[in-house]
Amino acid sequence: MSQHKRHHLSRRTILRGLGGVAISLPLLNAMRGRRARAGEGDPPKRLLIMYTPNGTIAKNFWPTGSETDFSLSPILAPLEAHKQDLLVLGGIDMLSSLSGPGDAHQKGTGQCLTATELLEGDFPGDAGLSAGWAGGISLDQEVANHVGQATPFASLELGVAVQGSDVGSRINYRSAGQPLPPENSPYAAYERLFGDAIADPMAVERRAARQRAVLDSVADEHRALRDRLGVEDREKLHNHLIAIEDIRTRLDQGVIKFDGACQPLEQGAYIDPEVVANMPVIGALQMDLMAMAFACDITRVGTIMWTRSAANHVFSFVDPMIVEGHHSLAHKGDQDTVKIAQNTLVSAWYAEQLAYLITRLKAIPEGDGTVFDNTVILWTNEQAKGNNHSRHDMPYLLAGSAGGYFKTGRYITQDGDVGHNKLMVSLLNAMGIETETFGNPEFGTGPLPGLV
Amino acid sequence: MRINAHILFGLMALPAAALAACEAEPATDIRPPSCAGSTQPGPTPIRRLTRVEYNNTVYQLLGDSSYPANAFPPDEEAAGFDNQAAALVVSPLLAEHYMGAAEELAATHTPALIAQLPNCAGGGANSDSCSGDADAFIRSFGKRAYRRPLTEAEVDGHLALFEQGATLGETDYAPEVGVEMVIQAMLQSPHFLYRVEFGMPNPDGNEVVPLTSYEVASRLSYLLWNTMPDATLFAAADADELRTKAQIEQQARRMMDTPRAREAVKNFHRQWLQLGKIEPLISANGKNPEIYPDFNNGLLPLWRKETEAFIDYAVFEEDASVETLFTADYTMMNQALAEFYGVEGPSGSEFVRVNRDPSKFAGFLTHAGLLALYSKPDRSSPIHRGKFVRETLLCQAPPPPPDIVPEPPSVDESQTTREQFAQHSADPLCEGCHRLMDPIGLGFEHFDGIGRYRETEWGLEIDASGELVETLDINGPYDGVVELATLLGRSEQVKNCVATQWFRFGYGRVETEDDACSIDEINEAFAAADYDIKELIISLTQTDAFRYRRAVSAEEAS
Repeated sequence: MSQHKRHHLSRRTILRGLGGVAISLPLLNAMRGRRARAGEGDPPKRLLIMYTPNGTIAKNFWPTGSETDFSLSPILAPLEAHKQDLLVLGGIDMLSSLSGPGDAHQKGTGQCLTATELLEGDFPGDAGLSAGWAGGISLDQEVANHVGQATPFASLELGVAVQGSDVGSRINYRSAGQPLPPENSPYAAYERLFGDAIADPMAVERRAARQRAVLDSVADEHRALRDRLGVEDREKLHNHLIAIEDIRTRLDQGVIKFDGACQPLEQGAYIDPEVVANMPVIGALQMDLMAMAFACDITRVGTIMWTRSAANHVFSFVDPMIVEGHHSLAHKGDQDTVKIAQNTLVSAWYAEQLAYLITRLKAIPEGDGTVFDNTVILWTNEQAKGNNHSRHDMPYLLAGSAGGYFKTGRYITQDGDVGHNKLMVSLLNAMGIETETFGNPEFGTGPLPGLV
Repeated sequence: MRINAHILFGLMALPAAALAACEAEPATDIRPPSCAGSTQPGPTPIRRLTRVEYNNTVYQLLGDSSYPANAFPPDEEAAGFDNQAAALVVSPLLAEHYMGAAEELAATHTPALIAQLPNCAGGGANSDSCSGDADAFIRSFGKRAYRRPLTEAEVDGHLALFEQGATLGETDYAPEVGVEMVIQAMLQSPHFLYRVEFGMPNPDGNEVVPLTSYEVASRLSYLLWNTMPDATLFAAADADELRTKAQIEQQARRMMDTPRAREAVKNFHRQWLQLGKIEPLISANGKNPEIYPDFNNGLLPLWRKETEAFIDYAVFEEDASVETLFTADYTMMNQALAEFYGVEGPSGSEFVRVNRDPSKFAGFLTHAGLLALYSKPDRSSPIHRGKFVRETLLCQAPPPPPDIVPEPPSVDESQTTREQFAQHSADPLCEGCHRLMDPIGLGFEHFDGIGRYRETEWGLEIDASGELVETLDINGPYDGVVELATLLGRSEQVKNCVATQWFRFGYGRVETEDDACSIDEINEAFAAADYDIKELIISLTQTDAFRYRRAVSAEEAS
């Protein structure tokens, strides 16, 4: 597949569409018209996950002050402009990740969105521990199962320099043992989402007719083989078949039309997405793409995974004094003020990325407000603290109210052991999914109190 | 400390082997006691092509050298390898990549392949004139894509797709579109993307069935070459001549003697010894330019290639045993690498054999890449070097570090690294685990953080003595890496570790209790061949695990 196809619209058009401020009234109307086509009354709600690894520096993360009158910490300071849109969630513990197979990093990452124990398996962890894939569906996919049918892609998983392919580098799961890999390349992702929209419509229709015939034939073969296999192999073929059927279904949903805030992106000259030093540019491109996917209503469920479990990426682009990898920095003792300061800078840089993402979403008009108003972003981590792998008092943060569901602009702390299952339940409820449990209910049921 | 059960398993087989040798019977007729019962092939999961296998396969099938799978999501890695059946899954994203790659490949290669359908050429071609050629093409191309002859139902299905495709072009009858779509469909078929096996027909409902000759051909080619069978293997399968051990061995020996086998062996070592990490990990963390002014990232591929070239040369030019890999007094360098080492001789970019001082250097253990990988940006790291030997070469897992680890001492020019890490042996809290790693890693102290030999550290005398503990057969003190390498090279534990890793890489899965007989047979053959690496690989083709599979029971299949 060509990953370097370029559209012919000017940079100005794009800026006006996405990040810019000058959104005119006719565009807003066009936008409403498009929503009407999708057959929706209220604006759709959206869920966005942002994952970063290696824990945080607690004393530089948590705000000071009261629930409604608080000051942001050094790490969260870049979010100051969006303070009233935040819910800072203290006192939540990833209790499930203290249980089951795997080492601290494997469990913290594999369970961050599944809230249940990992499967047994052969992914080597620390000290001879090992684990398999996650043992259940992830939050985003549960949401996608409920809201994904309305859009061409039920969900979108993007990565920024996610290295490797194991339980430490995956957070999204269709079901137990069925990880969804993130796409690290914004160029490949753009082609995937919008390739047809920027191509010659006649050629697209011709290709779609051929793809339908080929995929029908391929699906028949998968089905026939699946039914001849033993249990475990059959499960594999079955999941493969579902993926083929998804592609096939999408062919009948038509091509994305650019209008209103849904406009092509100018991605600039190609740079290598796997190079750590390129993370700032690649990360911004991935966030632009996610914003565009929301603007075009291509999906309503997104994940941006920054690096991976125990990632040792060197953040020298944040500060040239940083020469050690993130994981190594995170392992330094609390007394090492220099390294604590450097690690704080890394976490604050991630907060800055979140601020950029929020700004992006706020620039996309929807109804009387913006796409951000109908979105909730969860910033999650694999751990609370890097140097002791603690998974108590996780540095959880929500941004956006999911259409007014959450009462934001607050810093709320839970008492006692509170499993992150409850956070998952709160987010499901916010997305309009009525449930009391998610993951392994042994670690908590019902929503978190005090969020709505 | 915990020693993996399979290691013990392998070692327990040794007395049996020795026993067998004492009886004056031809060794080939004696099977280990673990093989006395019924045939036990172990699990036989369906195996998805890895990215490497996909690239190699479309090269063989279509002559395509564009490496399309490099754009796929990375293969899931488990048990140290990227080809473990249990971990490999197909996500929606990968399925889309399969479709995109199939379309690109079909578009690129249809113009050449259409020549196989002469009656479909020209403006007057139509369904009547063309379908015979299409049928023949589907059978011949399909057989290579599916790695077995197509069933009549499969031929019919693809013919229907061809006819449909011929109507979807820009002209009334477009056979080239039909061909393109047939290729697209075959490249997305599960029979292409997976190695599908059912074994021989099983009218009696046996639990275990022998593989068909076509299935064995694929097992051989993907094990020894990481790609699809060649014409010779297809011919042998056509004649059903891949059924006996001797027939399989004959093919395996032929295949081992080709460049593609060398690539597969390289692939194994790149993963087992983690040579693939040299470039990304060292460049990510860098080396301190004040301490190591001679370091630059351009050295990293040379470092990886040194170890790859050394193993390749040793195994294929010298018929090396495991011991030789540890103790050889030579390595491979090109000019640029020789300049880094300060060695004279090689000129140009080709890697050539260079003899080294056997009192200082030994096999791959003194290669700069691995030593620099298991170092810090500003110093050597006896802990990480020791951990590498313990985990990767002895197949033992040290226990986890405690939750709170004190900060390591900063580099201090008045102390050697050994002295700085003395707390690990002085503090009983640390000593329990670190004695499993540090006294191995300290043997490498004559090599600095970029893997170069040093007589002294900061002008201070180096003590490279150490001790092996908690091994199965080489416990005791030693002095320096050469003695350490000699001990490791002789160790049965290391040899069993090597065999275990090859089992996993070769069979795409971790060993189970059902594999006792196969493991014993591999270990026996390995020992009988004086631990020649090539013979170990050949022995993988002679086991129950390789030649048989579990039948899918009627109840199981719906």
